[in-house]
Amino acid sequence: MKEYLKTIGLAALVLEGAFTAVAQTEWLENLDDALFIEARDGWFRSDLSGLIDLETYYIDERPPGLIFSDDEVFFNPRLSMFLDTKLGDHFYSFAQLRLDRGFDPGSRSDGDVRLDEYFLRYTPFDDPRVNFQVGKFATVVGNWVSRHLSWENPFINAPLPYENVVIVTDHEAPTGPGNFLARRNRALGDNRATWIPVIWGPSYTSGGSVFGLVDKFEYAFEIKNVALSSRPYAWDATRHGWDYPVVSGRLGYRPNAAWNIGASFSHGAYLLPPEDPLSPGGPSKGSFKQTTIGHDIGYSWRHWQFWAEAFASRFEVPNVGDADTLSYYLEARYKIRPQLYGALRWNQQFFNKVPNGVGGEERWDRDIWRIESALGYRFDRHLQGKLQYSLSRQNGLIQQGEQLVAVQLTIKF
Amino acid sequence: MKRTYSWALSSALACALSFSTFGGATIIGKVNLPPAKSKRPVNARYQLARAQTPDSPSPPLAVVYLTGVFPEISQDEAAKTVEMGQKNLQFEPGLVVVQMGSSIAFPNFDDEYHNVLSYSKAKVLDLGRYRKNEKAPSVVFDKAGVVELSCEIHEHMQATILVLETPHFTLSDSEGNFRLDQLPAGNYTVNAWLNRRTMWEKPVSLKEGETVEVILDGGH
Repeated sequence: MKEYLKTIGLAALVLEGAFTAVAQTEWLENLDDALFIEARDGWFRSDLSGLIDLETYYIDERPPGLIFSDDEVFFNPRLSMFLDTKLGDHFYSFAQLRLDRGFDPGSRSDGDVRLDEYFLRYTPFDDPRVNFQVGKFATVVGNWVSRHLSWENPFINAPLPYENVVIVTDHEAPTGPGNFLARRNRALGDNRATWIPVIWGPSYTSGGSVFGLVDKFEYAFEIKNVALSSRPYAWDATRHGWDYPVVSGRLGYRPNAAWNIGASFSHGAYLLPPEDPLSPGGPSKGSFKQTTIGHDIGYSWRHWQFWAEAFASRFEVPNVGDADTLSYYLEARYKIRPQLYGALRWNQQFFNKVPNGVGGEERWDRDIWRIESALGYRFDRHLQGKLQYSLSRQNGLIQQGEQLVAVQLTIKF
Repeated sequence: MKRTYSWALSSALACALSFSTFGGATIIGKVNLPPAKSKRPVNARYQLARAQTPDSPSPPLAVVYLTGVFPEISQDEAAKTVEMGQKNLQFEPGLVVVQMGSSIAFPNFDDEYHNVLSYSKAKVLDLGRYRKNEKAPSVVFDKAGVVELSCEIHEHMQATILVLETPHFTLSDSEGNFRLDQLPAGNYTVNAWLNRRTMWEKPVSLKEGETVEVILDGGH
């Protein structure tokens, strides 16, 4: 009870800050207008923009997914700076710099500065039928990436497939099925640094892509340095090159403005680092792949928006075999009033059975469901507040983040 | 039959001439317009590039209007419906001026969705997403002030609606020239609104049938 009151107190403080700030956003309008440089002939233009996120989490029991903190109440500020640059009619570049307590909340609680994204895009024609892009950028898989930044995301966290950490690790090979399955009974908090989800957030991995739009069809293919499930420190090309390239793609169909339907795939090695063979003369770490296929759908009309994604992913686990998992979510947002919206998300993840090494089969991780609700309020074009409550349940002895309350204030400039 | 047409045309011309000559006072003049803003780039960081290249935004114009105490006019005469469309990924027109109580319709002429928003004190609105063949929502603007519009989907799209209490207003041309006709005689203030930071005004004294020239450039 005391902790809840503490959270409500913190939320009230954040909201009070919001109300104070809302009266002063005229300067943000002026800043927004001023933060660009351009050549006189318009050939070059560079726009600087940003987001300041102030988040507070109240975590029940152990933190869920990718929240790297064991504190019951955790404050997570973040500054994201974006630089959009247009070079002539055919080149565009983008860079995103973040200053925070780690890419995932608390993963570097003493503070961290990172260049999370940087890419150069070349569009050879005057229409978008084909584009080439190289750099470090978000995956083309699925439909969540286009709303993953705090201003667009109806929630504070990511859907389950993008942040629910499973017992597969990219750090070491289990000695056998028993050793692998025993991880189910360990607390995630002790293993969060080595275990992985199906897709790690927006997966800002390094490589190149080709994508485009032809009539009502979209296509996107990419070759990146690490798998969808790989952790943020591996995304940078200086940490992991392209010895084991990962191929991903998405085909989309937009019959009209309301619908967006897509199918994605990804295939590549997920074990890191790949230098050493698992056993002398045996397969290398690059031989063990993560293969994911996904479907996504989006629909919007008037004040409603719906999204859904489903991913079937197979991890080839050394000394165990194929570990398959299916995860999906359904998400809806409704604008109750011009400035107020409500959002609801239902997530589930299931795991198949693998041989347990003693003649039987067992589910390799704990099935989980999670329901999430959020209320968001846009004070103006520069200030937004969100309140989220999540309830989840896992089959098994150890629950991760059964309840989560989070509040977020975002200033956009 | 030919004779009937020519009689009707002559009558109409005579009528129009009499209105312009004897329909009150006129102000003509020029507003010193700011240079056009450069085109905001389209944000296409994560979404695939769209089929359409956005049009250039409308050039800067000034709203010129008269304030003071005017003879009363009926509400029916004041309230009008005008249109502000979304076309080729821009608001068209990008600046609309209406008298308080007027309605504005927001048709979508693009194949894509737009989501027209305003968080301005004079009007908070969110029109949601509708296709080009759907009935366009219409909004009554019943409070005077500046309404700044944006599109939730296309960040580069911005527009302004100026809601005025006065029935006497006009938009300048792209050179800044303007003409306000059929004004009542009396002492008033002529105002030029250029953007949320730039507004100029000058006092004017109008006599029936007279034309006054005013230069609005921030000087006195």
